[in-house]
Amino acid sequence: MTTHSSKGCSALFAGLLLVATGALPAVAETSTISIAISPATANVASPQMGDRLAFNTVIRNTGDKSIDGLIAWISLVQIDQGKEQPIDLEDWSAHKAISRASLKPGETISTQWPMRLIQSGHYRVVISAVSREGSSLTPSPFADFVVRSKPVVESSRVLPVALGLPLLIGMSFIGWRRRGRDAG
Amino acid sequence: MTIHATIKAASETSPFRSPENMSAIGLIARKEAGEIIVSHRGRAWLLAMVGVLSGFSLLLVGSTELSLLDNAQVVYDMAGIVIALGALLALVVGSDAFAGEHERGSLTPLLLAPVSRHGILAGKIGGQMVAWAVMFILSLPYLWAVGSTGQNLFGAILGLALFGTPVVLAFGLFSMGLGARLGSVRATMMTMLVVLLLAASPLLIGPSLRQSTLGSWFDAVNPFSHAVNALDAMIIDSLGVAAQSIHLVAILAWLFFALAYAVRQTNRLVR
Repeated sequence: MTTHSSKGCSALFAGLLLVATGALPAVAETSTISIAISPATANVASPQMGDRLAFNTVIRNTGDKSIDGLIAWISLVQIDQGKEQPIDLEDWSAHKAISRASLKPGETISTQWPMRLIQSGHYRVVISAVSREGSSLTPSPFADFVVRSKPVVESSRVLPVALGLPLLIGMSFIGWRRRGRDAG
Repeated sequence: MTIHATIKAASETSPFRSPENMSAIGLIARKEAGEIIVSHRGRAWLLAMVGVLSGFSLLLVGSTELSLLDNAQVVYDMAGIVIALGALLALVVGSDAFAGEHERGSLTPLLLAPVSRHGILAGKIGGQMVAWAVMFILSLPYLWAVGSTGQNLFGAILGLALFGTPVVLAFGLFSMGLGARLGSVRATMMTMLVVLLLAASPLLIGPSLRQSTLGSWFDAVNPFSHAVNALDAMIIDSLGVAAQSIHLVAILAWLFFALAYAVRQTNRLVR
């Protein structure tokens, strides 16, 4: 109860502050952009690190006026419990955004967003779009995927070699010295 | 038994037609290789070398950040490290080859031995080649261990033998020549270490080196760059060995240059 009333107080205070400063919260207008997203048919069913995935989007102008200065971009977030974070797409994708000078009513833009899977985990991809005149952001529905981990090197192969070989040479070193001492 | 006495004894008992020179070369090579592989000091070096390769392999297993690398990239890195270690070995042994004999006072008896100077040099090169062969063989289990997907593992081994060997020998020959000229192990080793550090910089900097004009020039003349670029092409890009002929030509040119330098400096040695 205390928490609720505290939150209510904060919201009231924030509202009063906005009114006092004249900065009223902007209300999103109904967007005339629609974004449909679907995974590419070539995507593997259970991707692992190093695989490539692609998502197809269709951005449509659902209004009766042209949309000028359209920009759409890809965002990726990790949603694993305790690891929730936005992902820097630097290593994941070179295709991060598209732009279009004008989109006529009913016109669509089909785009494929390829990416390379860098880390394992549960991810959510979303495409967002804004226009020059629009007052709010239009997001696509979420597209979720899971990336399986792939060990680059197998410990079952590395450990026997990495530990065994120095041990072997070390033991032969000791044996050699002991033999030399006995002979001497 | 000193090397001089050994060579003299061999030259007196050898059954070959040109016994003195041939058996003396073999003896020098065996002695040089034995010092590196069989002696306590040599074994310590081998232990340190496998320790480095083991450490690198274990880091690859333990680090999740490194798991972003492709398996071929890991094999390429391992091959690059083996060449760098081989060049380091050749550098140390080469620095000691003539400068060490000079400092220990055994150069004059060696030059008085019934073997030509080219023979002495050939024997020292033979010893280095045996040491590199041992190192190469010891690196194979590591390449196999980290090359879990098997992608271009054979290419890595072939590339290491084909491009690594002349690079390693070139460093050894330059060190021998410089050691013969300077007569000081310390001065030779320090000079060659700086050269190796510079030459092996492509291992650290990678392909970004070629982005500047100076970097691309350096890349074009550096034998180490040619070796790692050839390995890159063969292991990561899956290109054939035939496509790497330009790299091989450049590396062999350096090897012949290094050989000519070592021969010239050996000929100028005074008793």
